[in-house]
Amino acid sequence: MSGAYQMRSLADARPGMVLGEVLRDEKGNVLLAQGAVLSEGMLASLGRHGVDMLPILSAARPEATIDPAQVQERLDRVFRKHERGNHDDWATGILRQFVEDFRLGREVQR
Amino acid sequence: MKISAEQLTQGVQDLPSLPAVVMELLSNIEQENIDISVLAKKVSYDQALTAKTLRLANSSSLGLQVKVATIQQAITFLGFETTRKLITAAAVTGCFPNGRCPGFNDKAFWRHSIATAACSRSLARRLRFNQDVAFTAGLLHDIGRLVLVTGHPQAYAEVLAWRSAHDGEWLDAERAVLGVDHVDAGVALAEHWNFSDTMRQAIAFHHTPETPGAGFLAAIVHVANAVVHALDLAGEDDELAPALSSVAWNAMGLNEEAYLDLFRETEQQLEEMSAILMA
Repeated sequence: MSGAYQMRSLADARPGMVLGEVLRDEKGNVLLAQGAVLSEGMLASLGRHGVDMLPILSAARPEATIDPAQVQERLDRVFRKHERGNHDDWATGILRQFVEDFRLGREVQR
Repeated sequence: MKISAEQLTQGVQDLPSLPAVVMELLSNIEQENIDISVLAKKVSYDQALTAKTLRLANSSSLGLQVKVATIQQAITFLGFETTRKLITAAAVTGCFPNGRCPGFNDKAFWRHSIATAACSRSLARRLRFNQDVAFTAGLLHDIGRLVLVTGHPQAYAEVLAWRSAHDGEWLDAERAVLGVDHVDAGVALAEHWNFSDTMRQAIAFHHTPETPGAGFLAAIVHVANAVVHALDLAGEDDELAPALSSVAWNAMGLNEEAYLDLFRETEQQLEEMSAILMA
């Protein structure tokens, strides 16, 4: 894996980001390998190891360039056997809504 | 081209067998007092299996801060349950020949199975269910399809054609063409490979989790299967979201925030694990 990376603070790092360089602690011990995909557990553990900056691979997630109309069209195709608002199939309807929120990056009430 | 019960059983017996030690691991999946050092030794006789298991153990999703070099070390750092799960995944994904049935997308099959395994495990963690058992059940839930494809490749090519013509579910296509479906085949394999009862139940009821006595694991795998189809992760052109059982959905009792995290985890783990398991 070669590619540009930028240093980000631990507070800005999110699960799913990819390390662009091997990560070592102050004694030089390897904490995580290059290319590691960060998880919530890892981020918590890095905090405990005194890590405050991380080399994050740039453009690790090409999600910014989705075309919402295309995404919606594909979702409609995957759910083509399920009519919206069918009460007998409500669980599928909720899952569909969650997946749409996820794929289209809709703000979710927390 | 119907398949009789005898042909199904015969087909299962003609399958390549899993390494004996993996069969042992699967049949004792709920049993905790196994002699671990003996098992570690048995696994290490199989070099290919050991290498794949160690690559999984060292993958970043497990977050180990040291690299493990032996099965025994993996057990020490990851625990027996997790290591057992990794050995099983490494063995099962290498056991079936690819490309037997023209038109059957082996790659999509395994992407779906691995994603369902990862999703089942993430669900189990939230529900305080045994995560390693859930992972293995998710990985094996559709294994009956491989039994049919491997044992009856020509007949299965007709299933593919039927499904494509009717734009239907796999189960319906299999029943219409073969008279048996991948659930029957999966249960037959579970008997032959001596899976634990819990695992067998999950395979048997993953499409019908509301059946009395189906068990919670079947509900977890049912929801994970639907999530993975809905997320469109396998890479099938004609991906189809199945009907989701409201009983199983209610049994999960999770809110949207939890599901969005679950979707994210499933996608990440799929990419990492498939790179190792499908290499």
